[in-house]
Amino acid sequence: MTSETSVVGKSLPLLDAYEKVTGKLKYAGDLPAMHRMHHAKVLRSPYAHAKVVHIDTSAAEALPGVSAVITHKDDITGKKKTCGSPWHDFSFNFMGPMISPEVCYVGDEVAVVSAVDEETAKEALKLIEVEYEELPAIFDMEEAMKEGAPQVRPWGPNSLPPSLFEWGNIEEGFEQADYIIENRITLGNQQHAPLDRNACIAHWEGDSVSLWTSTQALFWIRDAVTDFFELSPSKVRVYSTPTGGSFGLWWGNNFMLLAIAIARKARRPIRLVLTRDEVQTTVKRRERPLIDAKIGITKDGKMVSQSYRHLMDNGAYGNKFDPYQSVADIYTTEHARVEFIGVATNLLPAGCMRGVGDLTLAYAIEQTVDMAAERVGMDPVEFHLKNHWKTGDICHTSQEVVFAKLLFNKNPTVELTSSGLAECITRGAEAMDWKNKWKGWGTPSSVDGHKVRGVGMGISTHISGLAFFGFNGITVKVNPDGTMALTTGIGRMGQAGDTTQAMVCAEVLGVELEDINVIDGDTEVCGHTMVTFGSNGMHMGARATKAAAEHAKEQILEYAAKHLEANPADLDIKNRRIFVKGSEDRGVTLKELMSTPIFEYLAAPEVIGSASKGVEFDKAGKMMMADFAEVEIDTRTAQMKLIKFVAVHDSGTIVNPAVCENQVAGGYYQSMGLSTTEHLVFDDETGAILNPNFMDYKLMGPLDMPDPEIMFEEVYDEDGPFGAKGIGEGVTCAVPIAISNAVYNAIGVRIDPPITPDKILQALKSKS
Amino acid sequence: MNAINLKINNEHYDVSVKPHWSLAYVIREKVGLTGTKTGCEMGTCGSCTLLLDGKPVFSCLRMAIDAQGCDIRTIEGVEEDNNGELHPLQEAFIQDHGMQCGFCTPGMIIAAKHLLEHNPDPTEREVREAIGGHLCRCGTYIRIVRSILNAAETMRNAQAGQ
Amino acid sequence: MEYYSPTDLNEAYSLLDKYGEDAIPIAGSTFYMGHREELFDEVEAVINIKQLGLSYIRQDDHGLRIGATTTLNEIFAHELTSKGTFGILAETVKELNINEVRNMATIGGEVCIAGEVDMPTTLLAYDANIVIGGSKGVREMSMADFHIGYLNNALEPGEMVLEVHIPQPPANTGAGFAKFERTAADLPIVNVATRISLDNAGACAEARVVAGAATLSGVPERSAAAEAALLNKVIDDTLIETAAVASGDIECIHDFRMSAEIRSLWVKCGIEDALQRAVAAVQ
Repeated sequence: MTSETSVVGKSLPLLDAYEKVTGKLKYAGDLPAMHRMHHAKVLRSPYAHAKVVHIDTSAAEALPGVSAVITHKDDITGKKKTCGSPWHDFSFNFMGPMISPEVCYVGDEVAVVSAVDEETAKEALKLIEVEYEELPAIFDMEEAMKEGAPQVRPWGPNSLPPSLFEWGNIEEGFEQADYIIENRITLGNQQHAPLDRNACIAHWEGDSVSLWTSTQALFWIRDAVTDFFELSPSKVRVYSTPTGGSFGLWWGNNFMLLAIAIARKARRPIRLVLTRDEVQTTVKRRERPLIDAKIGITKDGKMVSQSYRHLMDNGAYGNKFDPYQSVADIYTTEHARVEFIGVATNLLPAGCMRGVGDLTLAYAIEQTVDMAAERVGMDPVEFHLKNHWKTGDICHTSQEVVFAKLLFNKNPTVELTSSGLAECITRGAEAMDWKNKWKGWGTPSSVDGHKVRGVGMGISTHISGLAFFGFNGITVKVNPDGTMALTTGIGRMGQAGDTTQAMVCAEVLGVELEDINVIDGDTEVCGHTMVTFGSNGMHMGARATKAAAEHAKEQILEYAAKHLEANPADLDIKNRRIFVKGSEDRGVTLKELMSTPIFEYLAAPEVIGSASKGVEFDKAGKMMMADFAEVEIDTRTAQMKLIKFVAVHDSGTIVNPAVCENQVAGGYYQSMGLSTTEHLVFDDETGAILNPNFMDYKLMGPLDMPDPEIMFEEVYDEDGPFGAKGIGEGVTCAVPIAISNAVYNAIGVRIDPPITPDKILQALKSKS
Repeated sequence: MNAINLKINNEHYDVSVKPHWSLAYVIREKVGLTGTKTGCEMGTCGSCTLLLDGKPVFSCLRMAIDAQGCDIRTIEGVEEDNNGELHPLQEAFIQDHGMQCGFCTPGMIIAAKHLLEHNPDPTEREVREAIGGHLCRCGTYIRIVRSILNAAETMRNAQAGQ
Repeated sequence: MEYYSPTDLNEAYSLLDKYGEDAIPIAGSTFYMGHREELFDEVEAVINIKQLGLSYIRQDDHGLRIGATTTLNEIFAHELTSKGTFGILAETVKELNINEVRNMATIGGEVCIAGEVDMPTTLLAYDANIVIGGSKGVREMSMADFHIGYLNNALEPGEMVLEVHIPQPPANTGAGFAKFERTAADLPIVNVATRISLDNAGACAEARVVAGAATLSGVPERSAAAEAALLNKVIDDTLIETAAVASGDIECIHDFRMSAEIRSLWVKCGIEDALQRAVAAVQ
């Protein structure tokens, strides 16, 4: 089913574009100073694992201008000595005891100082004397998992029991296979690296606290603060500003809690702005995977069994052990076994980053699939078309299933709502000219002197939200002039969540986007809204927005029926006007309706639409994508260059094409970074990050890559508002696959990201 | 502390600074103009770009004390320089979605403004070179470049129409 | 920390004498401000040297003279350095894809930093001399003597760089520059500058083959072996290859940015590319 739309489907400008182009948009670091506000700085551990045996802050406290110092002696963590349950505790990102006497990675907090300005606070940090006793540190996942390995942090084992999914009979599955392909992959340490730096202002009034910060997780932060400081939700108010990029970085984080703690002690508003180094080395990074993949296929290229063991390096306090999403389902096999094991190391904590899980596991699957296609001599495009996931297939490894099991001990079945994978693969292959360019495995598509080119492809998927992200409470208030205020807690990270939710609202109410004013970012004003990640905004969040708008519409039609002396069921709204269906000249503008007294009340109507909706999860909407890359390897210099890139996405109905195009391009640039130059380098000896800035953590710039060719396969999703699914995260997932497979075809050697000149050189040597 | 006067967007501001305070820091924290963003504070992201005596510079790499007597133009002054109306570049960035999160936008617009003032009809390559030191972590370069090229065309047409 | 903006050289020299090693002369400020946290801690006086009349590019009988505070973009735009005999200077600037830094960074600053920047590599290929001033007088020394090591040079306390002096090269000279980096806006991982001067028979009478950014010493270095391979021979592809292979005498640094193996490979490739360009550019 599709519907005609007048707002949805248009590349309308962002609602906050004017503020952005004039520099008026306030990110957290731009907020004006408050009366008596002081500035905080954090003293951080130079050791990967150590005990703070002695700390003397007297000189710092005595420095003029210093208002407070907190250390582990202040015991701000109180009873919260360990991570709680991983899925609803502090935004999946709780770092454990705050300012603990045991530091567990380089950058862990040791003390916080607040002072009249940042310079004084920095000066005070230098005056704090700390004596550490070094403890054994582990930086390698497999080492950390060994029996008798030193404990990474003061609680819990270094690795949790695997999160396990099995269906069919895996042994039988591999017996049915004619060939079994095994493979082990890893990736680099990517960091979110938004240009903006995390910042917040915390302020106590009596026993109530307010926090201003840039975030995509408004309500999770409210809940985390409530939980951590053991306050009533009514005593915690969080205001969120837009973030200067996020990609998963701007959830809750320790630094906000540190600001709140020291604000209480200093009895002043406290502002804490992280430095670039701190953003890169103390907030989080993408979990680094180590994956063993095993795939069974028959001679005719049918995949019959698959098994994956996915280790993820969580760093010191990361807590991921769940399957993330359901990427293991992109191939429908009767038999499978998938294990996810979160491992702690004494490195920067890891957490979700754009494309989480699906990027890493899809990379492992797709490399192995490419090898499988080679084994049976089948064109990878054909292999994909033969085996991929289809509408109505089961999502065995959906996170929903895990949580249903964990929370309710139930084992529900989740079905895939829609899949446009076949079309994505076919269209992408055509745009890449795959038929002519693909010359076989490990075979360049063209050779020009020492420049060899190769093509590669890959597919992936990603969730469009998850039910357990929570309810969405949305209101739509119609003003007397027919404009309206949409209240939502959706995060504003550049994904245009405010704009596209308003487009859904405008579509339902027959008005223009410019008629909608979005009110966001205030826990007291907004209804609880899903934390904005997992690409839930359009597929899940917008259901409530649409319902709230429909609720408002219902009221409008009721009043209009009185005004027009008609039956509400006979009315509709278009172009800001309510009219009688079939005789459209009978009508009233929304403005007139909302500003004209109605006989029955002798007053103009007041319309507030509202909806609060959770999401049923018996069916899951997943975005699908197929990416195609053509790379060129210079065998003389061992450098790689991207020549052409095609990305075809099924995200259902595309609500705002320009927004979605930017999303896809963003995923392309970021994942090209992951594939090449974006890699946090940890010092082997100390565990410190050697490249904590953009001088050496290299992001792709405007001169580095060709523009990708972006296409949308708009498969209407019956469960998504106006047929839409999510898009923001999946855009990263298939990019590294296509690039690595293209490199393989160019030079005949498989290289895992980051694909550096060093790795290319070694590969070329191994070949010759 | 050194007392200095900065001329920013034709307004004069008296501020006290230390020699190593950057112009970006002083403009944001002491003058209160936060349209100039500071992403890296070491000259590697481009967010803090402003025009100093007509030339684009990274204000995080400039000592504020060394900007005395200079004509400083920030994103806040772009409308004023255009008779109080949005500059064609700003219009183009809005219409063509030359942004996602918007953090790099002020720096991009300043660098592009300088380019178009000196080269009204740039090639795509020239546009990319003009913003070569600017990062957009959201990766919206395609539409940033398109915005700049479209603004150039608008400005050329306006010029031709006069 | 004190700040001074002297308007004549004697005033600048007396400030440098007064503060000695605790003073830093600053012009473009990109390096110091980019490393603000570490570098300003020990500084007692910042001396702005931009009012000293040291921004100029001029040619005389002895060659080209570029004032210390001349910016990279001034070099890029100036007719003496953007084409002809010294056009390689603008070509070198062009390889830095950050317009804003080019508007700020100065040739004097690049000469003092020496590592991780491009211009000194090209200057060494042109046998440039550094003109140094101080209250005790003015002296001139070769780049090779000036650079002692990473961020370490022959300036005595109280002295500053006034000018870069590039001697007029012989007729029939061509130059080439090549650069390797991780992304288009990066520090150089390897840069190479070559200069060749041919005799009337077309054989190589003078050769400079210089690699920078990648060297273990932290400063640009000439490859004696590569230069020797070229001398007195007619340069063709085979000879270029021979010279490039000979560049193994330049020892490269190994760090988290890039392995020594890749840097050595790129030095070799850079020499090939830069020599090809130099041959094509002979005029």
